[in-house]
Amino acid sequence: MSSNISAPKLAIPASLDRDEQIVEAVSASPMRKEYRTQKPNDNILPSAYYDRYLSATAKQCLPSPFPKALSLSRTPGMLSMSSGLPAPETFPFRGLSVTVSRPDTANRHESSQLEFGGDLLEEALQGSNTGGLPKFVDWLYGLQERYHRRRHDAEEEWSLSVGCGVQDLLSKAFTCLLNEGDSVLVEVPVYPGVIPNFRLLQCHIAEVTTDAEGVVIEDLERVLRTWPKHISMPKFLYTVPYGCNPTGASATLERRLRVLELAREFNFLILEDDPYFYLYYGGSPRPPSYFQLEKETPGSVGHVMRFDSFSKILSSGEYESHFNPPPTRDALIAVLGLRLGFVSGPTPIVAAMNRITSSSTVQPPGLTQAVTYALLNHWGYDGFQQHVDHIASVYSRKRDLFISAMQRHLTGLAEWSIPEAGMFVWFKLLLPPARGSDEGDSEDLIVRRALKENVLALPGTSFFTNGRASAYVRASFSVLPEEHFDEAMRRLAAVVREVRLEGGKSIGYGSTRRVTSRNEPGQHLRLTHHSLFGLFSLIICFPLAYIMTSHYNLVSPLG
Amino acid sequence: MSPPTGYNSDTQMVAPVTHDDGIPMVTSSSPTAEHPPLTVDERVLPPNFYDDYLSDTAKRYLPSPIRKVIPLSRIPGILSVFAGLPAPETFPFQQLTMTVSHPDTANRHKSTTLSLEGDVLTDALQYSETGGIPRFVDWLCGLQERYHGRKPEGEGWTLSVGCGSQDVLSKAFTSLLDEGDSVLVEAPVYAGVIPIFALLKCHAAEVCTDASGILADDLEHVLQNWPKDKRRPKLLYTAPYGCNPTGASATLERRLKVLQLARKHNFLILEDDPYFYLYYGDTPRPPSYFQLEKEIAGPIGHVVRFDSFSKILSSGMRLGFVSGPTPIVNAINLVTSSSTLQPSSFSQAVAYSLLSHWGYDGFQQHVDHVAGVYRRKRDLFAAAMRRHLEGLAEWATPEAGMFVWFKLLLPPVPGSDEGDSEDVIVRRALKEKVLALPGTSFFTNGRTSAYVRASFSVLPEEQFDEAMRRLAAIVKDVREEAGRGTGSDLGVNVSRV
Repeated sequence: MSSNISAPKLAIPASLDRDEQIVEAVSASPMRKEYRTQKPNDNILPSAYYDRYLSATAKQCLPSPFPKALSLSRTPGMLSMSSGLPAPETFPFRGLSVTVSRPDTANRHESSQLEFGGDLLEEALQGSNTGGLPKFVDWLYGLQERYHRRRHDAEEEWSLSVGCGVQDLLSKAFTCLLNEGDSVLVEVPVYPGVIPNFRLLQCHIAEVTTDAEGVVIEDLERVLRTWPKHISMPKFLYTVPYGCNPTGASATLERRLRVLELAREFNFLILEDDPYFYLYYGGSPRPPSYFQLEKETPGSVGHVMRFDSFSKILSSGEYESHFNPPPTRDALIAVLGLRLGFVSGPTPIVAAMNRITSSSTVQPPGLTQAVTYALLNHWGYDGFQQHVDHIASVYSRKRDLFISAMQRHLTGLAEWSIPEAGMFVWFKLLLPPARGSDEGDSEDLIVRRALKENVLALPGTSFFTNGRASAYVRASFSVLPEEHFDEAMRRLAAVVREVRLEGGKSIGYGSTRRVTSRNEPGQHLRLTHHSLFGLFSLIICFPLAYIMTSHYNLVSPLG
Repeated sequence: MSPPTGYNSDTQMVAPVTHDDGIPMVTSSSPTAEHPPLTVDERVLPPNFYDDYLSDTAKRYLPSPIRKVIPLSRIPGILSVFAGLPAPETFPFQQLTMTVSHPDTANRHKSTTLSLEGDVLTDALQYSETGGIPRFVDWLCGLQERYHGRKPEGEGWTLSVGCGSQDVLSKAFTSLLDEGDSVLVEAPVYAGVIPIFALLKCHAAEVCTDASGILADDLEHVLQNWPKDKRRPKLLYTAPYGCNPTGASATLERRLKVLQLARKHNFLILEDDPYFYLYYGDTPRPPSYFQLEKEIAGPIGHVVRFDSFSKILSSGMRLGFVSGPTPIVNAINLVTSSSTLQPSSFSQAVAYSLLSHWGYDGFQQHVDHVAGVYRRKRDLFAAAMRRHLEGLAEWATPEAGMFVWFKLLLPPVPGSDEGDSEDVIVRRALKEKVLALPGTSFFTNGRTSAYVRASFSVLPEEQFDEAMRRLAAIVKDVREEAGRGTGSDLGVNVSRV
């Protein structure tokens, strides 16, 4: 591939006939040379290729002795006393039914009741496969074929495995790939949930800059080409390519193609963490996933591990306690945490992850898989498409309202790009310089002042691996009621103005900081935590009594 | 079976234990006027006691930076654009109902329909934490009080729910063991933990067991002859009721002796007890280690207990819970916050709405029923064994759980005077369409064994007799071949090819 790609956005809408779209897009694009593969390429990397990636842990993890015996016990006519499974007739559950809404926007208010018992319930209640209920897994293979044009067959050496949420699968993937001292590339700012995992595995983290279009290629290239000799080359890049948490950015096709090209050149894997894939609401057709691209561009196939989540589209349950005001009873049912995610990637790596599962979580919970499968199977792929279209439109409306509130109040006080997917806006407050950051530091402003004004967002420092000072703020527009958008932005703007005024009066903004030195290497993370502790002391002096006694049924003073 | 009615510690008290500079010591003297018995509060080991037990890994875990800020968003009146939560109105689930049986045997055929709604559930789900939904956790703490006489207040322990007890066990091992650390495991041992010890590169020292549980003498011998080049063991892993694979339940006497040794040698007891509620012995059940450490004078905080719903509610539901010293449970929760985040609140809500509907008395009726089912299966299975395997095998009749562990009386093979059940099972029995697990799977070193583990939980009862008949025929064959004077050659012929 040539290195000077200057293509317009080229994309394939998942909802349309994709063959047609590709042909059209490719023929209209100067990219045609690079991106025209209609016949998926069959340059599949062999299993042995992954030996260099698998960690010592992955290689040591013995398979549980039981699955072999379990498969033997399915021989017809076999009288098996080998299974340690309990007697299913002692289980108290006899049937389960869920009421679910129609998938499409027009009929959303209607609902259907799905009942299940029999085989599916029995399978759900008793043990099943490490990687998920077979029927459910098959449905998900079909989903990957529909949205990423990856077929699961003998030629394609990839597998799919269901886990107890994406974080569970990510953590297992990291364990299977990283030895102490190995290196990883992470986009910054980065989803902070993965940082403790890298620290735990004692890895070297190399940051790659991102902007509103995703990973900045020049920076990735620079990092790779100037890689220090004494550090091992990175095993993978961790990236959130749609509606990135925290930046809200979605990587353009051009960037994706260049990242993939570099992955092939430098032999690193791409860990594509894509929980906001179905929350794309951009004006132009969506770019394909890395998982799709690696199959459809010339070059080897097998560098991409894709992580999908149901948390944003079916149920979250991760942090129910965040809701303020609290959700209604119906909404509580809705958010009951399913904790289901799935990984699609090279079979040797997925198999190693399954071995870890067999000694830890054993399998994802059967009931939640069965309920999810019952719903998805009832809707079918077309119904699922209607459902995610509906969700994307809800977020699109929220985004529009939130951005206009930002425009009303923060123009001149902050800078931002408008997200095209997901639920986050990442904006830079225009602050007076602070120690360690010419652009100022949003942390004190958010943690101390904004909190006092009863508005809460997340300071940018949380999203850097070294916890450096940042003028950025992450705001999420998903759960704050829309009628409060304006007031929230108004309060934030007032705080920013105040700080700017003080900065102008040269009251040394730095002097308000509790943490003065942020530049000593190795100190950053600890200092961040100190700040968090500071933050906790604030909770204790300020609203503790209220927290302890608060009932969520109370009407919020602002609601 | 009914919960232990409070073990009378006055009459059966073993040597009381006193503190000496914080180090627990076994003494032979009784409490005296100068040394009055310590209160429970005074006996609880301090949090820093566990510093030496926690692994480097556990100490490296950092709490997720976001998770720590969550409480801020609960401030009433705050306008939070902080939470990265999806909009709940976009989710499709509106209601969940389930049909469940009555808990007691007499009314088992009747069903009740429960709906996941109502104020109880609303309250229950208001907060969901790493260690489980607080209401559910409270219910489980009540269960521990009822069955083990333990309260979380003032006793230094915490309860945390995980994605099955294997998940919690694996996190506990991660939190406790560094490379090169030592553990004591009963042998034979639940095979599911062997890969974990291998993975963590631990030294596993085997302790012999028999039908009454761990052989205390062997445990003492192992401890007294501990090799100088190995680190002292941090913990003992044991399944004290209806052990997988042996079916053995540890007697009170053995439990007391093991606890005494744990206190003397300062190792933790990891009590993996999924078959606790499947006790169907004729005599009242012995108390758990978790209960005993409180009832027997001495320090409290050596026991980490693992409970499971897999055998009594549903194995596919994947819910288990750990009860143990708070610093250890906190470390387990930190592992969770970087991996599974929390057990599925869906599964928890289903379990909680059933359990709170039944109440503790209903739960008791349910587990009585379940134990009754296993007892009947055990009786039928043991009768089939007697009919066919008398003289061909030796076994002890289990009083809990779902396993019988029996020694096939086989001709010797190289490496084992008692013969090797693996070839018999893997090659011959398979051909005769009868399958059990060879004993070798249950030893950390995979040594040759004449034992076999049979499970009587899922094989239909009407096939018990035929299964034993087929197995007996094979054992007879093997013995006959050996008797034909091929002697030890037999071993060569049948050894793994």
